[in-house]
Amino acid sequence: MARQGKRKAGDVREPSNGTTDPESSDEGDLLEGNASDDEGALSDGSEGGLVASSSEDEGALASEEEGSDPESDGEGESDEENEDGEIGEATEELAQAVQDYYLERDAREGEEAENGELVRGQEEVGVSGRGEEEERRGAGEERFGPHVDESDSSEDERPDRNTVGNVPLEWYKDEEHIGYTKHGKKIIKQKRKDELDKFLKQADDPKAWRTLYDEYNDEDIVLSKEEIAMIQRIRQGKIPHAEVNPHEPYVDWFEFEDKGQPLSGAPEPKRRFIPSKWEAKQVVKIVRAIRKGWISFDKKPEAPRVYLLWEDDFRTADKTANGLTYIPPPKPKLPGHEESYNPPLEYLPTEEELNSYDLMYEEDRPKYIPRKFDSLRQVPSYANFVKDKFERCLDLYLSPRIRKKRINIDPESLIPKLPKPKDLQPFPTTLYLEFLGHEGAVRTLATDPSGQWLASGSRDGTVRLWEVQTGRCRKVWSLNTPVKFLSWNPNPDRPLLAVVFGRSVLLMGSGTGNETQSEAAAGLVKLQETATGAADEGAVVRWQKSERAEGLEVVHKHDVAHVSWHHKGDYFASTSPDAVSTAVLVHQLGKQQTQNPFRKNHGRVQRVLFHPTRPFFFVATQTHVRVYNLAKQQLAKKLTAGVNQISSMAIHSGGDNLIIGSYDNKLTWFDMDLSTKPYRTLRYHDSSIEGVAFHRSYPLFASCSDDGSAHVFHGMVYSNLLENPLIVPVKILRGHKVVESEGVLDCAFHPTQPWLFTAGADKSIKLYCN
Amino acid sequence: MDAMGGEERQVQVRFVTKLPEEYRVTNASFAVPARLTRYGLSEVINSLLSTEKLRPFDFLVGGELLRTSLESLLVSKKLSAETTLTIEYIPAVGLPKPVSSHVHDDWVSAINGTSPDVLVSGCYDGVARLWSSSGEALTSLQGHSDAITSTAVIPRASGSCDVITASKDRTLRVWQVKGTDSQPSGDLHQVLRGHSAAIQSVVASPSGNEVASGSWDTTIKVWSVSRDAEDGGSAPKRQRVEDSGAAPAGEQEAREARVTLEGHSQCVSAVDWSRADTIHSASWDHSVRTWDVQAAVNTSTITGSKVILALSVGGEGGALLATGGADPAIRIWDSRDSSSTGSAIQLLSHKGWITAVKWHKTRTHQLLSTSHDGTVKMWDVRSKVPLHTVQAHTVKALCVDWFQEATIVSGGADNQLRFHALDNP
Repeated sequence: MARQGKRKAGDVREPSNGTTDPESSDEGDLLEGNASDDEGALSDGSEGGLVASSSEDEGALASEEEGSDPESDGEGESDEENEDGEIGEATEELAQAVQDYYLERDAREGEEAENGELVRGQEEVGVSGRGEEEERRGAGEERFGPHVDESDSSEDERPDRNTVGNVPLEWYKDEEHIGYTKHGKKIIKQKRKDELDKFLKQADDPKAWRTLYDEYNDEDIVLSKEEIAMIQRIRQGKIPHAEVNPHEPYVDWFEFEDKGQPLSGAPEPKRRFIPSKWEAKQVVKIVRAIRKGWISFDKKPEAPRVYLLWEDDFRTADKTANGLTYIPPPKPKLPGHEESYNPPLEYLPTEEELNSYDLMYEEDRPKYIPRKFDSLRQVPSYANFVKDKFERCLDLYLSPRIRKKRINIDPESLIPKLPKPKDLQPFPTTLYLEFLGHEGAVRTLATDPSGQWLASGSRDGTVRLWEVQTGRCRKVWSLNTPVKFLSWNPNPDRPLLAVVFGRSVLLMGSGTGNETQSEAAAGLVKLQETATGAADEGAVVRWQKSERAEGLEVVHKHDVAHVSWHHKGDYFASTSPDAVSTAVLVHQLGKQQTQNPFRKNHGRVQRVLFHPTRPFFFVATQTHVRVYNLAKQQLAKKLTAGVNQISSMAIHSGGDNLIIGSYDNKLTWFDMDLSTKPYRTLRYHDSSIEGVAFHRSYPLFASCSDDGSAHVFHGMVYSNLLENPLIVPVKILRGHKVVESEGVLDCAFHPTQPWLFTAGADKSIKLYCN
Repeated sequence: MDAMGGEERQVQVRFVTKLPEEYRVTNASFAVPARLTRYGLSEVINSLLSTEKLRPFDFLVGGELLRTSLESLLVSKKLSAETTLTIEYIPAVGLPKPVSSHVHDDWVSAINGTSPDVLVSGCYDGVARLWSSSGEALTSLQGHSDAITSTAVIPRASGSCDVITASKDRTLRVWQVKGTDSQPSGDLHQVLRGHSAAIQSVVASPSGNEVASGSWDTTIKVWSVSRDAEDGGSAPKRQRVEDSGAAPAGEQEAREARVTLEGHSQCVSAVDWSRADTIHSASWDHSVRTWDVQAAVNTSTITGSKVILALSVGGEGGALLATGGADPAIRIWDSRDSSSTGSAIQLLSHKGWITAVKWHKTRTHQLLSTSHDGTVKMWDVRSKVPLHTVQAHTVKALCVDWFQEATIVSGGADNQLRFHALDNP
C-alpha cells in the first residue's frame, strides 16, 4: 500500500515537474531512489537510516493518503482535492509539506546540538556539518522564501538538498563536486577518507554503527536513539511510533444505535409530548391485572434440574414437615463372609465349637452358624427368614424417630438473683406464743398502736383483749354474734376498738389507755343527739347505744363486712357488700355522722381503705381497686388486680404500694407509681388468701391463707423512685390446723417488732417472732 | 464405753481446790483414764479423801466447768494428752428440791427476795403478798387496780422494810411493812403517779433512798422514797387520790418523779440499779442503756437484735448484764467492755421467751432464769450448760428470785408460787 502510494505520488508529481521548480519535481525520483536503494543500504550495514527515512516517508504519505491522521487535516483535504483532479494545487501542497519537514528537521537538529545530547564524535562531524546546514538553511529560506510554514506533520523528515538533480550518481563518481548551488557554483565533495581512516573512525567512534553516508548530499547522518528504536520497532513488525497506541478504544463518533437511520434534523413531532392513550390503556389493564391477582410477582422457585435419586437415605439433617429432625431408620447389618454359602475355612466352627454352642443358653449362641455347601444349589431355604424379618420390622418400629432436644441451661441460672433470706433479717421465724381462749375460729385480730395489746374477734361471739408480752387474756367482751372484723383506732390517744358483727359496727373503749385517754374514748362513744339516724328513720345507718357492750353501735341496713379507720382516727369507713348503693359508708366519730360517698358502686365492694398519709380512698371490688382522690372528689386511678375475687387489701406505710390477696390464691403487689397493673403476682398459697398485712416500719409483708400457712415476704420499698420494690419470700409459717377447709383467717404485724400474729380457724392465735 | 478396752488413754491430772483443809488432796499428779467425766473424777476425789459420806464435786478446767469427758475436753481445747491438766474441784451445787408451793388467785408476776425475812410476790390480781421463809403467807398488800408487774424491797431498820410495787395501773405504791421478823403488817405509804402507761419494772437503789421504774411510756422515772427526806419536810406536791377508792387510809401523799430518764424508744421492760449512781435499763427497742442518775444522762448503750424483757446486773464485780428477751437465749454482756457490741456469752437452753433472769448476790457465778417453757434454770456462767433445770411450772413461768441464800422462788401463769431449796449451795 505504501509503495503504491509512493508510486501514485510519484506519478502525480511527474507531470507537475515541468510546471514547478526543478528541486521539488525531483521528489518522486528521490523517493523512487530511496526505495530502490533499500537493499543496498541494508547490505551497507547502515540500513536503519534509510529504512527509517523511507518508512517515515511512507508513514507521512500513508497518513496523507488515508487522511485519518487527525494532525493532517489539511493534507486530507488535499487528498480529496487530488481526487477531484486539482493536481496543481496538490503538488503545491505537497511541496509545502516537504519543505516544512526539512525546516523542522533542521530546527530539531540544531536543538539537539545545542542541548549537547550529541556525543563528541557527532560534534566533530557536526562542526563541519553545522555550518553547511546553516548555509543550507539560509539557502532554503532563500529558496522557499515566504512559503515557509510550520507544519507538525513532517517533523521527522530529513532535509533533502539534492543538488545532483535527476541524474545517476555514477556521473559524479569521478568529479570533485557533487551538484550545483542555485547560483550555479559547484558543490565540492567532502574529502574522501581512505578505508583505513574509515575503519579507525568506526572503531573509535561509538556512534559509528549508527552513522550513515548520504551519497546524494555527500554527508554523514547520525541516527538518533529514537530513530534506532523506531527502526527496531519496524523490524519487529510494530507501529514505528512508540507513542501510538494501536489498540486505542474505539470511539464511536457517530452513534447510530437508537437514533434511527438516517439522522434527521426534523423537529420532534407533537405526539411525542402528548401522553399516549394507548399506553394509558395498557397501564390500566396491567394495574387491574395486578389488583385481581392475575399477575403475580412471586417468582416460582425453580425446580432443581438435578436431584438425588436416593435422597431419603441421606436426609439426616433436613427438617421434616412437623419440624422435627428426620432420623433415618437403623440400617440392617450387612452379610459378611461367614454368611457365604461357601465361607473360608476359618469361619467354619469346629466340631467342639458346635458342641459348645449346644451347651450355651439360646440367647448367648451366635445368631448364625456358618455352614459350607458345595454349590448354591444345595443351600436350603433360610429357616429364620420370617423371624429375621419380624425382628427387623420390630427394630424399625421401636427405633426412636424423634430426637429430643435437651436445652442445655444451668437450672441455677434460671433462678432470679435474690438476696438470701438470712441477709434480710429480722423477720418472724419461730412460734413463741399462743393466745388460747377463744372457743370458735378466730376471725380477726388487730394490735394496738403501742404494741402492748392485741385484740381478736372470733366466731364464738367474743372479742378478746390480750397482753402481747405474756399471752394473757385481759378482757373478754361477749357480743353473742360472730365477730367478723375488728380494728383499733390508729390514734394512740383514742383507745377504741371498732368491731364488726352482724349489721353493726361497735365502737368501744378498749380500756388500755390511761385515765385521760380512757375518758376521751368514753366520751366519744357516748351517743350524741346529732347522730345520724337517731331521729331520722330513713337514714342509711342508725347510731345507737350498744346493748351488748359499753359503746356505740352503728347499725347498717345490711351485713357489714369490714371497717377501716382513717389514720387520724376520726373517720372510719365501713363496707357492706350486699348493699348496692350504700356499700361504702364513711362515718365520722366526732360528730357521729354518716355519709354515703358513692351513689353507685362498680361491682361488689370487698374492702375499703384510707391512704395512710394523703386524702386518697381505696375501694376494692371483686376484680378492681379504685383509688379516689377525696380532696378533688374524683377517681384518681383504677387498678386491675388480675384476680377473680379480692379478699383482702393492705397498704404500705409509704402509701404508694398496695398488696391484695384474693380467693384464687394470688397475692398481687401494686406499685401505684409504676402502673395500674400488678407489679408482682405471687402464687405461693395452695388455698385462698384470707388476709394480707404490711409491717408499719420493717420492710415486711405477710399473707395468710386457708392452707394453714402464713407467708412472710421481705418487701423493700426504696425511696428512690427509679428503684423498683424488692420482694423476696423469706418464710413460710406453719402451725395452724386446717379446720373445715379454713386455715389462717387473719394476720397482723406487731407495730414495732418484726412479729406476726396469726388467727387460725383452730381457735388459736399464734405469735411468730424473729 | 471405750472400745479399745485395756489400752485406754490416760491423762495426767493434778487436783487443786480452794476448799478447807479437810477436802484437800495431795498435790501430786495422777494418771486417770481419759474417758472419765465429772462423775468419775468425783469418785476419784472421794476415794482420795476417803470420807465416809460421798460428796459430789464439780471440776473446773481453765475456768470452765467440766461437762464432758476429759478426752473430748482435750480435743475441743486442742490440748496435748501429754500435758498435766490442773483441775480445780469445787463442791457440786445440789439439786433444787421442791419445798412448798402456794396458789395465788391469779398469775404470779413478780417476786422479790431481797429482804432476808420476807418474800414479796406480786400477782395479776393486783395484790402483793408477803411470805415467810417457811412459806407461810404473812400478809397481803391490796390497793392496785391492775396487775402488779414488779416489786422492790428496801430493808429498813430491823423488823421493817419498804415494799414498792409497780403495776399496770400506771402507779407505784410504797408500802411500809413492819414486824417482818414476827407478824408483818403493811401500810400504804405513798402512791407514785407519773407514768402515762403501764409500769413494767421497778428497782430500789442500793442506798435505799430511791426507786427507779420503767414503763410502757418509754421513760424511766426515779422516785425518792427515802423516809428521811419525808421527815425532813420537803414539800411534796399533793396529788388527787380520789380514783384509788380502795386505798387504805395509810396513803398519805403522792410525789412526782425526781428524775425522768428519756431515751428508749419503746417500752422499758426492765431496770436494775447495781451501783449508787448507775441504772441499767432494758427495753423493747432491743437496747440496754446505762444511765447516770445524778446527771440523768445515758452513758452507754448496747444494742441487740431482740426485744429484751428481763435484765439483771451482777456477776463478778457486778459488771455483767444478763438479759433475756423474746427469744430463748440468755445473753450476758460485759458492761466494762464498752467496745464490744455483741453479747459476751449466749446461754441457750430454754425453749421459750425468757421472762426473768437473776444473779445471785454473793455467789457471783450463779444465775437463775425462767422462761415461757415453764422451767427455772440455774446456771453457772462458767459453763454453757445449765447446772439444774427445774420444771417448776406447767405453763409459763414469769418470775424468779433468790431468797435467803439458797432458796429459789418462782412464780408462773399457773398461779403457783414455788419454793425450791438447794441442798448444798
